[in-house]
Amino acid sequence: MIVTYNWLKEFVDFAYTPQELCDRLTMVGLEVDALDEIGGNLDSVIVSKLDSVDKHPDADKLTVCQVNNGTEVVQVVCGATNHKTGDLVALAQPGSVLPGDFKIKKSKIRGQVSMGMLCSEKELALSEESSGIMILPVGLTLGQPVFAALNRKDFQIEIGLTPNRPDCLSVVGVAREVAALCDKKLQLPIPQIRESLEPIAQQTSVVIEDTDYCPRYAARMIKGVKIGPSPDWLVRRLEAVGMRSINNVVDVTNYVMMELGHPLHAFDFKNLQDGRIVVRRAQEGETFTSLDNQEHTLTAEDLMICDGRRAVAMAGVMGGLNSEVQEDTETILLEAAYFKPTAIRRTSKRHGLHTESSHRFERGADIDMILVALDRAAGLIADLSNGSVLSGIIDNYPQPLQTPVLILHAEKVEKLLDIPVDCDTIQTLLESIGLQVVPGDSTTSLEITVPSFRPDLEREVDLIEEVARLYGYERIPATMPVGTVDACLPPLGQQVQKKLRDTMVAGGFSEAMNYSFYAEDSISKLSVTTEDPRSRQIKILNPLSEDQAVMRTSLLPSLLETVSRNLSYRSQDLRLFELRPVFLPQNNGQGICEKLSLTAVICGRRNPEGWAQSAAGVDFYDLKGIVEELFATINIADVFFDAIDTEPYLHPGKSCRMIHDRHFLGSIGEIHPQVLVEFAIDQPLFLLELDVEKLIEIAGAHAKFKPLSRYPDVIRDSALLLDSEVAAAQVLEIIQRSKVKYIENAVLFDLYTGKGIPQGKKSLAVRVRYRDLQKTLTEEEVSKAHNKLIKTLCRQLGAEIR
Amino acid sequence: MKERLHQLQEAALSSLQQAADLKALQDVRVQFLGKKGTLTEVMKGMRELSADERPVIGSLVNTLKDKFETCFAARQAELQQQAIAAKMANEKIDVTLPGRCALKGSKHPVTLVTEEIVEIFSRLGFAVAEGPEIEQDFYNFEALNIPKDHPARDMQDTFYISEDLVLRTHTSPVQIRTMLKQQPPVRVIAPGTVYRRDSDLTHSPMFHQIEGFLVDKKVTFGDLKGVLIHFLREFFGEELEIRFRPSFFPFTEPSAEVDIACVICGGKGCRVCGGTGWLEILGSGMIDPAVFASVEYDAELYSGFAFGMGLERIAMLKYGVNDLRLFFENDLRFLRQF
Repeated sequence: MIVTYNWLKEFVDFAYTPQELCDRLTMVGLEVDALDEIGGNLDSVIVSKLDSVDKHPDADKLTVCQVNNGTEVVQVVCGATNHKTGDLVALAQPGSVLPGDFKIKKSKIRGQVSMGMLCSEKELALSEESSGIMILPVGLTLGQPVFAALNRKDFQIEIGLTPNRPDCLSVVGVAREVAALCDKKLQLPIPQIRESLEPIAQQTSVVIEDTDYCPRYAARMIKGVKIGPSPDWLVRRLEAVGMRSINNVVDVTNYVMMELGHPLHAFDFKNLQDGRIVVRRAQEGETFTSLDNQEHTLTAEDLMICDGRRAVAMAGVMGGLNSEVQEDTETILLEAAYFKPTAIRRTSKRHGLHTESSHRFERGADIDMILVALDRAAGLIADLSNGSVLSGIIDNYPQPLQTPVLILHAEKVEKLLDIPVDCDTIQTLLESIGLQVVPGDSTTSLEITVPSFRPDLEREVDLIEEVARLYGYERIPATMPVGTVDACLPPLGQQVQKKLRDTMVAGGFSEAMNYSFYAEDSISKLSVTTEDPRSRQIKILNPLSEDQAVMRTSLLPSLLETVSRNLSYRSQDLRLFELRPVFLPQNNGQGICEKLSLTAVICGRRNPEGWAQSAAGVDFYDLKGIVEELFATINIADVFFDAIDTEPYLHPGKSCRMIHDRHFLGSIGEIHPQVLVEFAIDQPLFLLELDVEKLIEIAGAHAKFKPLSRYPDVIRDSALLLDSEVAAAQVLEIIQRSKVKYIENAVLFDLYTGKGIPQGKKSLAVRVRYRDLQKTLTEEEVSKAHNKLIKTLCRQLGAEIR
Repeated sequence: MKERLHQLQEAALSSLQQAADLKALQDVRVQFLGKKGTLTEVMKGMRELSADERPVIGSLVNTLKDKFETCFAARQAELQQQAIAAKMANEKIDVTLPGRCALKGSKHPVTLVTEEIVEIFSRLGFAVAEGPEIEQDFYNFEALNIPKDHPARDMQDTFYISEDLVLRTHTSPVQIRTMLKQQPPVRVIAPGTVYRRDSDLTHSPMFHQIEGFLVDKKVTFGDLKGVLIHFLREFFGEELEIRFRPSFFPFTEPSAEVDIACVICGGKGCRVCGGTGWLEILGSGMIDPAVFASVEYDAELYSGFAFGMGLERIAMLKYGVNDLRLFFENDLRFLRQF
């Protein structure tokens, strides 16, 4: 909502500067988004007099003018033809910046010095079109800024209104708040109207068929109007609040709407068939063409203003093309009505028509303002178009709306706001914004009649807010709450999430955040089959674009895009993870399951680039190390890494699933080269995917202590010759499960194939550490144990000792 | 004998001084004290001495030994120092070469500010709660006093999954879910991802909010101010200027928008604060009785306040990030700065 400083001044005599006014409005809940001085940067455009106008010696179409700017005479070259010696003109001096960021400099035009520019109205944004330069009225003082001299100085104040304040969708409404702020009286405009003798009732009639959607409909008629351009002051006013001038009749309806907040509509009476108005619902499927030449197919929910036969306006939203005011219009039927907010909102949404009018009606117009607005507009139209207002008003208002009366208890105000206020203070505050206040039943209660312009005040608490607002939030002292605190540690799920994040970051990963939605085909790029639950994606009904059409069922596609983008930015060594939900349909097909997933990718060098670090690339085992660390951090043991039947987007020979006690925890592996092609990634990339919900379910609460031995350890190394197919995990598992005494731990410290190893075999070296809790082990005890272990390994795995 | 010992002492001490390195020093010791050492030889002659002389000479020998050991230790320390100095003279590294660094990971700035804010509020007794991102219309709107066909719905452009399911437009539905499960007193903070159908330089269709609310007996508007001022000063600094001004949210009454003095220009007015010197930082208010009605709390007995803020905005101000889009582009050069 835009109002201007000068316009507000017409209704309340305040002493604030524009900036002060804005600050005060903001602090009373009408947040000022912008304050702009009209012509604010144009103080260097000054009133000047043409001392002489001569033809340019070297250009036919130019003139060289000697311009008296009040202090000196300067030379300016001008291309216009409508000026002559003695005229007062607008001189933009060098250094001025005209609208459109047009900088004025001292220059030479065809050899003649030009100290600035003589401006047209268009160049000063004073009008949309202009021919020639602006010739100012005589009598202005030379050297004065043009805007000030013409009384065009004003300030646009743009207010970001909250939807609960329809009363401030008008200059008068904002002025009411200003009046309350500075304790002055609001002066409402008094309609000036001279009626002719002819009564309106003889000319037309209004029937309301749906009094629920339209509780009140009033009309006036103006005859003999002459449609033409609006006077300058009206055009300027409308432009100042962001509206375009159309003609003298339409402009008046808009002007009164901006001034008083009540939307009005003017019909060309000759186009109203049967010369009457019927307010009714549309017939299902009926078509209607609005003023902007859009055709709409109506539903039985749409309220329409009709003449004797057809719809002529979409009630409260927009007029119809068939009854629009045109150049030949002579008789105006002027409408002022009240429509049910939800009805207008639904129609406006349904047809995608949001107008100044619908904006006001859907928030709640002022039903008591109808007759004032109607008279104000009829009077102005008659004045500006030489028309005459017929006598009387048609005011169809079958069931006047009840004015709500609320009870406000002073102790409630004190209790909620914690401020000492008595009834007198409250009364003064509420009366300042036009509420009627009388004492209530008890000494601490008040009875408040809410005026029709404040439909937002429905309950006692709404009045408490008004008291707080007018009292001033800044005057309410800050306190700390007293009371019971029942705070506990964050839920386990959040603790696990935090540990996972911390561990990933400690492992060198950066956390990414991608949008929760992506393109519908993203998942198929991963070669995921259509039977896979991840292919049953949840669609957004109104996505912003095709790239954001469905909710993610996997974090991988967006992470692959992130990788691709980073590679193109020449970041080569990537470690990225994302810990966010995926959205899957529930197994039973009903409802949606939001499941946290941890997805990480890694590529490039293992170590940061540097003089002291190797440049070796990462592989599967880097991620496996991370995942082992993750499991250890949240105390999950016994995870089985199963190489069978891995995800379709992984390299079948270099990937596995992770299983714990029959729970599928996730996957690790190298991304399938075909998938990399889909995402334009040209280097090996490794993936870790974990079902965080599962991890939370099975996470151990804390570590368990194992006693320390105070005796020395003995280490035995053995190299086992094994079939290549034997998994390393089998060796470790046999060692772990063997009943051999004294084993503290076992490490696989070398893997070798090649020279000296037969085809189909591999050498795996194991280092076993023996130690006892109670005593120092003897050589014989260790040898006996180790031999037994080796025998078991040889027997169970067909291994040989190298 | 005495004379002999005196000469030995002179000779041994002088040899110690002349020993050029630790090995030569050790040799002197052997020459003097070893099995065939000169002092050992002399002591062998002790047997031939008279009973009167023996204790005298014995004591002389001990004095001599002590003296030798003292000088030996001194010379040894001296030579060791020289040896270390000589060794170090040839050892020099370029200390300006960069260190051997481990890989450094990073949390997303939104995660960082979330953790920090949660930490501040948990010290005030607020517990963390969560809710789904795909939310029912009831929790996201209806129960929060935003009925269908109400203009307040225009305040938040909504993504729909079905007529009744939306991508939550704010974290406020967590209020409803929590209050339906739990009776007062409640102190809850709820961080989360939210969505609005809006995308331009300053709006992202997905962003993050943190919601907080407190319900108890006798909670006042002053308490709302107190808690939020405490939080903002903990987060942005003790001296921060803060103002509360009237606003409107359907689920609070009275409602307050909270501004802080611009952290970029300090309140003088700049591009970031649009020249006003103030930055809008969070929305808040006393919980509307209509909300209490939808969770069946007794509005006569209890009162409470709620607040919500955008985490990207907070992170932008804290770290001086000038472009919202950076948060979701996941450029490592950005992510690694945090």
